Amino acid sequence: MLGETLHNIKLLAPEVCLTLFLCLLFVVDGILPKMRTNRFSMITTVVGCLAALVLTCKVGQTPEAYFGGMVVNDGLTKFFRYFFYFTAAVSCYLAFGSNEIEKQSRMEFSLLLLCTTIGMGIMATASNLLVLYMGIEMVSIISFVMAGFKRDNLRSNEASFKYLVFGGVASGLMIYGFSLMYGLTGSLNYPQIAAYLTSTQGNLGLVFWLALVLIYGGLAYKISAFPMHFWAPDVYEGAPTPVATFFSVGPKAAGFAAFIRIFLTVFSVKTAEGNWQMINGISLAHVIAIISALTMLVGNLSAIGQTNVKRILAFSSIAHVGYMLMGLVTLDRSGLTAIIFYLIAYCAMNLGAFWVVSVVSNIRGREDLDAFRGLGWSMPVLGTCMAVFIFSLTGIPMFSGFIGKFLIFGSVIKSGGFLWLALLGVLNSVVSLYYYVKILKSMWLDKPESQESLSLSFYHAVGLVGLAIPTIVLGLYFTPILEFAERTLSNIL
Amino acid sequence: MFPILSVMTYIPLLGMIAILAAPRNNPNLVRWISVVATAVPLALGIYLYMSFDRTTPAMQFVEQFDWIKPFNIQYYMGIDGLSVPMVLLTLLLSFLCVIASWGIEDGVKGYYAMFLFLETGMMGVFCALDFFLFFLFWEIMLLPMYFLIGIWGGKEKVYAAIKFFLYTLFGSVLMLLVMVGMYYYSEPHTFNLLQLAQGHQFVGKTVALFGYQLPVDKLFWIGLFIGFAIKVPIWPFHTWLPWAHVEAPTAVSVILAGVLLKMGTYGILRMNYPILPEATLWASNFMMILGVINILYGAFCAMAQKDLKKLVAYSSVSHMGYVILGMASFTTAGVNGAVLQMFNHGTSTAMLFLLVGVIYDRVHHRWIVKPDGSKGFGGIASVVPVYTGIMAIGLFASLGLPGLSGFISEALVFLGAFSNPKFQTYVVIGSLGILLGAAYLLWMFMRVFLGPLNEEHKDLEDINWREILTLAPLCVLVIVLGVYPMPVLNLMGSTIAKLLTLFS
Repeated sequence: MLGETLHNIKLLAPEVCLTLFLCLLFVVDGILPKMRTNRFSMITTVVGCLAALVLTCKVGQTPEAYFGGMVVNDGLTKFFRYFFYFTAAVSCYLAFGSNEIEKQSRMEFSLLLLCTTIGMGIMATASNLLVLYMGIEMVSIISFVMAGFKRDNLRSNEASFKYLVFGGVASGLMIYGFSLMYGLTGSLNYPQIAAYLTSTQGNLGLVFWLALVLIYGGLAYKISAFPMHFWAPDVYEGAPTPVATFFSVGPKAAGFAAFIRIFLTVFSVKTAEGNWQMINGISLAHVIAIISALTMLVGNLSAIGQTNVKRILAFSSIAHVGYMLMGLVTLDRSGLTAIIFYLIAYCAMNLGAFWVVSVVSNIRGREDLDAFRGLGWSMPVLGTCMAVFIFSLTGIPMFSGFIGKFLIFGSVIKSGGFLWLALLGVLNSVVSLYYYVKILKSMWLDKPESQESLSLSFYHAVGLVGLAIPTIVLGLYFTPILEFAERTLSNIL
Repeated sequence: MFPILSVMTYIPLLGMIAILAAPRNNPNLVRWISVVATAVPLALGIYLYMSFDRTTPAMQFVEQFDWIKPFNIQYYMGIDGLSVPMVLLTLLLSFLCVIASWGIEDGVKGYYAMFLFLETGMMGVFCALDFFLFFLFWEIMLLPMYFLIGIWGGKEKVYAAIKFFLYTLFGSVLMLLVMVGMYYYSEPHTFNLLQLAQGHQFVGKTVALFGYQLPVDKLFWIGLFIGFAIKVPIWPFHTWLPWAHVEAPTAVSVILAGVLLKMGTYGILRMNYPILPEATLWASNFMMILGVINILYGAFCAMAQKDLKKLVAYSSVSHMGYVILGMASFTTAGVNGAVLQMFNHGTSTAMLFLLVGVIYDRVHHRWIVKPDGSKGFGGIASVVPVYTGIMAIGLFASLGLPGLSGFISEALVFLGAFSNPKFQTYVVIGSLGILLGAAYLLWMFMRVFLGPLNEEHKDLEDINWREILTLAPLCVLVIVLGVYPMPVLNLMGSTIAKLLTLFS
């Protein structure tokens, strides 16, 4: 018994590790108040994330469910843990170079960030509706605080409040859905729910569909998919840029982790060839296709009229969710491989694009298109990196975003039945070019009004170039990621 | 074996890196790096021309190895008779344009870096034999082009740049879908263009769209055709062209008209023809009609222009129509004429754009008739005789005067198209284009160069040695190929003969 518990805790090592680092920050904050303002907390957070990354790599090579089947440690868990720890470390590094996070509150920021990261990890490992709910709430509640991090800024407060209200409604819907599901199936563990659903032979009552819609509502809020996407632009705009950067990648991917796992283990069963098949009576392919289409349309069409770059990127991140959902339509390995690749590519390019916004916002104090005017000429490294991120987000070859789209459209075309979705997807990427390029136009095509001597600090250059390089390299050579995705998918419980 | 194609493709890229590393305050260093980075590939190109085996339709100078194994994507470069003329044209025009851009003063580093990057993209497109690789190079060209037009262009440069970018991207995403589709519908899955062309793999397969079962090969054909048609540009996808050509700086207009337009027709000949021959035959009437529309529409538009550069731009639309006409005839003479016309139009239109650039540099306008109705130029032949002489050569080559290059290719195109009994009506209508071409070019020549001298321009300087240097090689080519076109026709003969066996 004890041995088993110890083994279970060992599988939870990354979370334990992060918690220890969290405690360390608390203790240091109490004993040495001077440490609040320097970079100690950032270094601790980054080291903590890296340690958790290494631990993720080391523990639990074989996929297994533990703690009574409530959590699982498999390929998907591992992938998302890598993803979250990397994102958290980068976001923390970015936040400490931005003047939007005040020096006095650096310690709080690191604490909150670590807390969210633990929550995201829980979302990715959950194999039980209640554990999932716990993870989601852990991420959401701290996110509300992070969105309102600039306490004396009206926009930031608005963002926080909007996020809270939307979040409250969404979790209310979701927990109601969970309770219906529990009442219907008699279990909260994914495999048992799936077993019950299989046993109904396709006779699923109205209650099931109601539960499904409610659960979707909650998850759609997390990944900002149609029709629960409304909060994203306002929250991203109001929140401090480093926080928005983190939101647009971390919690969103956590939502995807939960989404994918529910999709694969609750509503589908594994087939002999290693693919997945929807349980008899549930066929969601068309529904997902329509949601994906609407999400990308809404994201791209709304972005066209925006003038604030943060809002543009917020809508673009909605559109990217639409693209990624396309990968779930076919429910096969190629689609999931595409999602994994897309997430990796999206992580680097979106962090990078938001990073540039953060740098500009520090210089100019605003983030509208005009603030970017001529910056390419005064800071060539910044301008070039932004060009790389923007082209990658658009999906132009040589950059990782293109490969993401290539794999996604490939998986859809391969299935043969969703040609319309692929067509809509590529047309959307043409539309997206229009608003993305407005940013580049401001940076490079418009001449700066006055001769100002600006220079990019080494601190930011390291981060930007560090994200631009994988964006280019993955666009030219992506075999290792494909192999990694293959291993990940073979290891899903 | 020495990987000559890759070396030619990536030397400009190395040049770009060298330029980016060069100090900011030394524009001449940047210019000379660019000269070297384009001259070396040109020298290699001459070697290529010498050692190219004209007797075989097979791919030569092949480089092939695995690139992305799980998708069976290969790094596969090679050239045949279709690509060689285009490769040579690209190398020559790139080199000349580097010299022609000597006068650029703003952001020299950025300009030449983008320009060399563009050359890498163009070379890659003509050498790639793997669809994925082709697509990569095809799209890579968009990026420098956007910046070259958008930063160094004329008054409406921003609009022109985004219009060009959006149009081309629209075409490319359709091509992307076709590329992915071809991969999954071929057995075994491959991006290799030569393998895709084997065995008519796409005939008879269908795909569902909104409940309709559509034939895959025709869908592929249409997708590819739209992608390439935008580049050519074929009516009604041409509206980006006047903007981009007119607003772009001179050297970029030359590349646009000289090389980029040919990529469209090259792509059709490289992909649509050999991979989807049945669908090509199915669409041949349609292509013929579009070709005729292009010829006439371009010519009428050109005739109405008051801006010299716009006139040349629309003349390109008209001249690319001949290429389509020749291609769609499926006769030896017609297709040979089409490819020769691609090469000849590259040289003659490059001359015209360079010449327009020369006069624009001096007087900063290029109105034939100013917006207020007064004459832009007039009688300048007496002030700038050398310039006028060279202009006359370019212009007569363009309108197809016997003895100059344009005549041979246009004659071959009409000869070929007329010998196919299906298309005789189209040819008769299309041949009106020659008349119209003579009309708008001569009318322009008359209004700008002849007649009483416009006093505004009595101090116009004649063409200088650097400008002559850029124009002389093109002049020589235009005259030599007008008298003896065999050096180019020999290159492509066997390749085209093999291509046409698919349609006999």
